[in-house]
Amino acid sequence: MNVSLNWLATHVDLKGKSPEELDKLLTFAGVEVEGIEVKGIASNKIVVAQIMEAVQHPDADKLKVTQVDAGEGQLRQIVCGAKNYQVGDKVPCALPGAALPGGFTIGEAKMRGVESKGMLCSASELGMVDAVDGLMILATDSPIGKPVKELFDNDVLLEVEVTPNRPDLLSHYGMAREMATLLEVPLAHLEIPERDGFTAEGVHIEAPEACPFYTAVRISGVTIGESPAWLKERLESIGLRPINNVVDVTNFVLHEIGQPLHAFDAAKVSGALVIRSAQDGEAFLALDGQTYPLLPEDCVISDEAGHALALGGVMGGADSGVTEATTDLLLESAYFTPSRIRRTSRRTALSSDSSYRFERGINPEGVLAGSALAIKLILEVAGGTAEAVTRMAGGIPSLTGAVALDLAKLDQLTGGSISYEEASTILTRLGLASNADDTWTVPAFRADLQRHIDLVEEIVRVKGLDAIPSRLRGSFVPSSPVDAAYDADMRIRERLAGLGFHECQTIKLIADAQLADALPLKPLLPGDTIRVSLPLSEDHAVMRPSLIPGLVASAARNVRQGAKALRLFELGRVFRNAGGGKAKDLESDSLGILLSGDAVPAGWARPDATADLYDLKAVIAALVPTASVQLVPRARDGFALAADIQADGQNLGTFAMILPSRQRELDAPQPIFVAELDLSKLRKFAAGSGPIEDLPQFPGSSRDIALEAPASLANAEIERVLAKIKEPLLTGFECFDVFRDPTGQKLPADRKSIAYRLHYRAPDKTLKTDEIDSAHKAVVTALTSGLPVTQR
Amino acid sequence: MKDPIEAIQTDALACIAAAADIRALEDARVAVLGKKGSLTEVSAGMRDVPKEDKAAVGALLNTARNAITAALEEKQLALQNIADQKALEGIDLTLPARALPHGSLHPLTLLRHQAISILRRMGFALAEGPEIEDEFHCFDALNTPQDHPARNEKDTFYFDSGKLLRTHTSSVQVRTMESQVPPVRIIAPGSAYRRDEIDATHLSVFNQLEGLYIDSDVSLGDLKGTLEYFFRELFGSGTEVRFRPHFFPFTEPSFEIDVKLHAKGQAPRWIEVAGCGMVDPAVFDAISASRKDGAYSPEKVTGFAFGMGLDRLAMIRWGIKDIRLLIENDARFLRQFA
Repeated sequence: MNVSLNWLATHVDLKGKSPEELDKLLTFAGVEVEGIEVKGIASNKIVVAQIMEAVQHPDADKLKVTQVDAGEGQLRQIVCGAKNYQVGDKVPCALPGAALPGGFTIGEAKMRGVESKGMLCSASELGMVDAVDGLMILATDSPIGKPVKELFDNDVLLEVEVTPNRPDLLSHYGMAREMATLLEVPLAHLEIPERDGFTAEGVHIEAPEACPFYTAVRISGVTIGESPAWLKERLESIGLRPINNVVDVTNFVLHEIGQPLHAFDAAKVSGALVIRSAQDGEAFLALDGQTYPLLPEDCVISDEAGHALALGGVMGGADSGVTEATTDLLLESAYFTPSRIRRTSRRTALSSDSSYRFERGINPEGVLAGSALAIKLILEVAGGTAEAVTRMAGGIPSLTGAVALDLAKLDQLTGGSISYEEASTILTRLGLASNADDTWTVPAFRADLQRHIDLVEEIVRVKGLDAIPSRLRGSFVPSSPVDAAYDADMRIRERLAGLGFHECQTIKLIADAQLADALPLKPLLPGDTIRVSLPLSEDHAVMRPSLIPGLVASAARNVRQGAKALRLFELGRVFRNAGGGKAKDLESDSLGILLSGDAVPAGWARPDATADLYDLKAVIAALVPTASVQLVPRARDGFALAADIQADGQNLGTFAMILPSRQRELDAPQPIFVAELDLSKLRKFAAGSGPIEDLPQFPGSSRDIALEAPASLANAEIERVLAKIKEPLLTGFECFDVFRDPTGQKLPADRKSIAYRLHYRAPDKTLKTDEIDSAHKAVVTALTSGLPVTQR
Repeated sequence: MKDPIEAIQTDALACIAAAADIRALEDARVAVLGKKGSLTEVSAGMRDVPKEDKAAVGALLNTARNAITAALEEKQLALQNIADQKALEGIDLTLPARALPHGSLHPLTLLRHQAISILRRMGFALAEGPEIEDEFHCFDALNTPQDHPARNEKDTFYFDSGKLLRTHTSSVQVRTMESQVPPVRIIAPGSAYRRDEIDATHLSVFNQLEGLYIDSDVSLGDLKGTLEYFFRELFGSGTEVRFRPHFFPFTEPSFEIDVKLHAKGQAPRWIEVAGCGMVDPAVFDAISASRKDGAYSPEKVTGFAFGMGLDRLAMIRWGIKDIRLLIENDARFLRQFA
């Protein structure tokens, strides 16, 4: 909302207060000041000048060459295009170097060959309202050479954000009342004539829940025209465009005391005004030219013929408003129920200064005052006569009452730092009246004050939190399972960063098309994805069931930037249904890893190496260092080399290579490997190890064995046999070489050589060679008899 | 016998001294001490030496062998030192380091971790809740009226089921109070969602950190002390912190918190960093109705709650001008946090 300080000053004396002080005052009263704009003339180089001579420009019909006295001891020549002045008039003259409100600076120039040393200004060029077309004519007694800014009161425009609980501040009078309270200065009395005649004729409320109180007054014989300068200036000072005298008055009253009004052209109204619910599907043509389909929850003002004249409290109709031809008015002033206005305004996306105030709740006692003030002003600026009685239906809603202030609770909350006397003073200044029973009667304009805590809030707000001493203390509470999970997640993050991976954050709403990149632990069935009802765009329509789509998108972005190595990971929540939608809205935490491109950063000292699946497998192994990691192939749609990730036989997640076709689509030069792991399981491994194993007391020994096997025989098959061998001396083994010869020269192309190092050790003695030999022989026999392999 | 032995010793020492490298030294050793070496052959001739001379010749041989062996060892060391020196000659210390991949934690993680660390030091424990929420936990229990602007399909993501994406982490307050009895002292970092078009200052999914302290005597002084301490730890010990009165449906009184930011090359300015307030009694009433007990009766407990935007704090901390950098994961951006 825009607030003019000059306007405020008609209600409260703000002299001696700088805009910065007022900013601070409002800020600490809970009104956010979003901008301060000094309006009017700022430059000292715009001075009063008298036009001494004006002759026709030799080369331009529309220009005159003037000589002006700007108090400099000699005349100044300025070329000017205005026509509204006489020689001898005093006008504002911008000297070279003067900065005008539009942001440009006056210089010296030649205009059509004639020198011009400055500019004679209109009011609008100085940021004021033009009273005449052309130059601004100053009073004849204005001293020549005096800066023009000293002749006018400059205004300051405050742009403020009023919180939804304070509709009483949505007017200049309301804001002035608040400032007067805070500054402890008097508030000027608002001069509003009393109107004491009422009639129930002419207005009927059929929808009291939407509009409990409605008034209208007929004003006859008005002359619609331009508003007087003071009214236009007031409206323009807060950025409103003057329209005509009647509409300007209704806008003025709204911004003066916060009461929205509407003026109907009485000639367009047949019979009484009826305030009713809209019919389902009723079409309403609003004054913005749009037609809105209405619902029964909307309130319309119609005439007796049923014709909708206005969408109550929101906007007038296209054909019932004041026009230049209007002579008789029906002036509406009413109270509409906030929730109803809010609903209608949101659904129709129609919003106005009126609906803004109604939906926050206006002062019910302002309805008649607003009407009376507007009538007085309309008669002043548009003439005519108002009927003596006010047409009225319903009653003034009573929204406020007596509220108890619990002093013990005030003491507890403020640590005893605010005395009862101070609290009482503050409430009194705010317009509350103290009652005998420790309750306070709340004025009608403060419907937000309903409970004890609301009064405490006011006391603290006005007193300021600075007055309450800080306290540093708190109860001891146990850590939670969430703490343990968080710590495990941080260890996982730090380990991955240590392994050269960059942590990502991707957006949790993804596109349908991205689902093809998803690699959730269990494949998605139709009905397993969760869509928001009204996505902002199709790019952000589905809750991510997997972290891989986001990582793939991040990889693609980095590929476009020329990244050679992609090492990305993300920890975060994933969302899905299960069983085709049988179990709904499941959330779990997941770890996604993506690896592609250079295995180590390229440099002068190392050969290039491209990351492959075993690099990613190594990363996974590093996350579960105490377990043995195995990839168990399990096909997944849309991926190659897909496998379950198992740690000590427990399923941890899914591993895959992006299909080469998808990789080409992403313009990625190297294969992309991804893994998605269930964090709840991974955290258990990251929680730390168990009791330690004692170190061996006796040396061990190792033997190597090379096996020739069909190329299709997996390492896991061989390891499974090795693991099952009941040879007590065999303490461990690892594959250390794999050899294939596609040419078939050294080995048939469909065969491979795979070599293992076998470790032997006894816990209680140093082994002799023959003991090792015999154990090794048993192992070799078990391998060659249990598998289609031969020892090489 | 005496002369030949002395001659062998002299020759051998000369050869050793003249050896220019390990190989020449080895040749010299073989020529004297090898199987067919000159001294070995003389030693072999001992059996022909008359008995009375054996002791003297033996002593001579020993002297020669010791002298030669010592010379060999000395020369060996000298040559090895030279070779070691040579091996290091010409190494360019100024060549670039071998590259190791440097990883990084996301700035949000860094900031969140710092915030959590400070609050844990103050005795807060972590809590969490679902991101797909119901209206009760996101709005009703938080004293947000049915027709509040936030409860709107234009501002909040809803699902056909009637559930919604939580618009703030404050729903975790409700979940925690439903399942735990006071004292409750929790923080809940997490995502929140608003139906905002993504631009330089808005994300539809963003990150918040919520805090809640409920106990038998929690006051405005506790709220103020806790958050002043927190922001001074986060932004530096001299940081100015101010509390502006504000309005939230679920706290009263409510405040917004500003800290004075001193950015290089800029005039100091107040920037908004959090919202906070004393838990509104209406929230306690809703919790009591949901729990069906009096553990959170507003007659027995008071508390404060606070919430802050982590994305915004990260932007302030590192001077990030476009919030989208936080979700685009450009390696050139992420690398700066390595």
